[in-house]
Amino acid sequence: MKKPCKPWGMTEGGLVCCGLAAAGVVLQFAVGSVRWEAMAWPVNILVLSGLLLGIVLMHFCRSKVRLFRWMATLPAGIPAIVACAMMTVLMGVTRQVPSGHVPAEPLGITAMLSFWPFVLAYLWLTLLVGMVCMTRLRPSWRNVPFLLNHLGIFTALVAGTLGNADMQRLRMVTQEGKTEWRAVDARHRVHELPIAIELHDFSIEEQPKLSYASDVTVYTKSGISVRDTIRVNKPLSVRGWKIYQYSYDEAKGGMSDISIFELVRDPWLPYVYLGIFMMLAGAVWLFVKW
Amino acid sequence: MVNWNDLWLFALPALVCWAAAAVLSLRGGKQKPVCLLTVCGMLIFGSYIALMWLSLERPPLRTMGETRLWYSFFLPLVGLLTYSRWHYRWVLSFSTLLSAVFICINILKPEIHDKVMMPALQSPWFAPHVIIYMFAYATTGVATLLALWQLCRGQDQLAAIDNLTRVGLSFITIGMLFGALWAKEAWGTYWSWDPKETWAAATWLCYLVYVHLRRSRPLAVRPALLWLVLCFLCLQMCWWGINYLPSAQGMSIHTYNS
Repeated sequence: MKKPCKPWGMTEGGLVCCGLAAAGVVLQFAVGSVRWEAMAWPVNILVLSGLLLGIVLMHFCRSKVRLFRWMATLPAGIPAIVACAMMTVLMGVTRQVPSGHVPAEPLGITAMLSFWPFVLAYLWLTLLVGMVCMTRLRPSWRNVPFLLNHLGIFTALVAGTLGNADMQRLRMVTQEGKTEWRAVDARHRVHELPIAIELHDFSIEEQPKLSYASDVTVYTKSGISVRDTIRVNKPLSVRGWKIYQYSYDEAKGGMSDISIFELVRDPWLPYVYLGIFMMLAGAVWLFVKW
Repeated sequence: MVNWNDLWLFALPALVCWAAAAVLSLRGGKQKPVCLLTVCGMLIFGSYIALMWLSLERPPLRTMGETRLWYSFFLPLVGLLTYSRWHYRWVLSFSTLLSAVFICINILKPEIHDKVMMPALQSPWFAPHVIIYMFAYATTGVATLLALWQLCRGQDQLAAIDNLTRVGLSFITIGMLFGALWAKEAWGTYWSWDPKETWAAATWLCYLVYVHLRRSRPLAVRPALLWLVLCFLCLQMCWWGINYLPSAQGMSIHTYNS
């Protein structure tokens, strides 16, 4: 008897990826680059709910729909990882414009993170990882390392990508003896912040190691003030804001009376960290089991 | 204190130890003296790294030459682990040879740089990040050599290749995530897609393909081994290839040579 042919294998996986790449190119020409800034709250939470709902629904319909069953298998996953690897290599061999800038050529591959085929490849892989996690969501020791690795990358990737538009990254220029509460973003728009920084002193220490340091007091709207020293690698955290030493008046060097800080607020960060730590545990598990 | 000119003083005795261990294991000698000789060589070479660390007043991890030191150090270790685990007689010859190549490169072309380190690199994350990566490079390097050996000579080394790759992948993952945590701490973003990070992601994905492919198609050995060689090429791009890549010139925060 002839073996029944299996219609959903690695070939179909490759075809789906090619199809997505083609669809991506069409989308790229039709609507232009992906506009990630549109993902800002509350759009991202809606997209996340939609994604999770879709995964759960597809999971429970899998006995009826062969496609959904196939999506949680290796023959679907492997071409998806290959597609992502290829898009990433493409990104590695093309000179990228700084984030937020328009691509330097008509196709859009110099702004790869907003290039539709790139985004669709990663979205497809994320979807498949989500689907395969559903099949393993049962309490069993055997599933623990699997879930740490797969649910870990799913969490980190989804939270990192969707949360990116909520991340605020601003530059604040402070002058010794003055208090500043305004900061500019990458597009030179001025933002008034709920915190203010007073710079007491900026200094460059050469001994024992080269280091820049700013002696500051940070005030919040609720009336709390924190006095501390901010250095490279030693940011200060105040009310969800992280304040990094960014730069100074380089012409004046150690005599600079100006210190420039980078202020970062990243509300989705705990979930990214959760994913990263799950993956770390999964990687250690993989190694120990050797 | 020591400098690059003293490298051969340590490297030569270390290589003699490793070569003796390799010959001994090739001839089917007892495991204990083989292990002892390898460890002895590692102690000698390790003390050079330690002395360099002291005289540079920073971990010797910054330049290509310095990372090659760690690579030469870890290769015999990976060889020894593989030897004691699977009793391959020839693996120590492999690792010794590869280690010798990297030592020769360092003796012929040492890269001397100033003592001062960029403030961003003065972080407790720095040493583990790079050392873990170097160990991963050594593991995957041996796995690649085994894959080439099997592709050319047809000897079955698949169990060792799979295991070394799995260990290499777990270390690549840990090194990459340490890098992300460090970057968040130092620059405020865990992943900024600079050329080195992009190639690290591509390399990681390639190794993921290998691991999944071996599970999905255990009988398709040849394509998997060829893919593994491709993975290693990708890794080389990530390690030093991007220094020569036109698209990465002046773009990476990972090159600190002012």
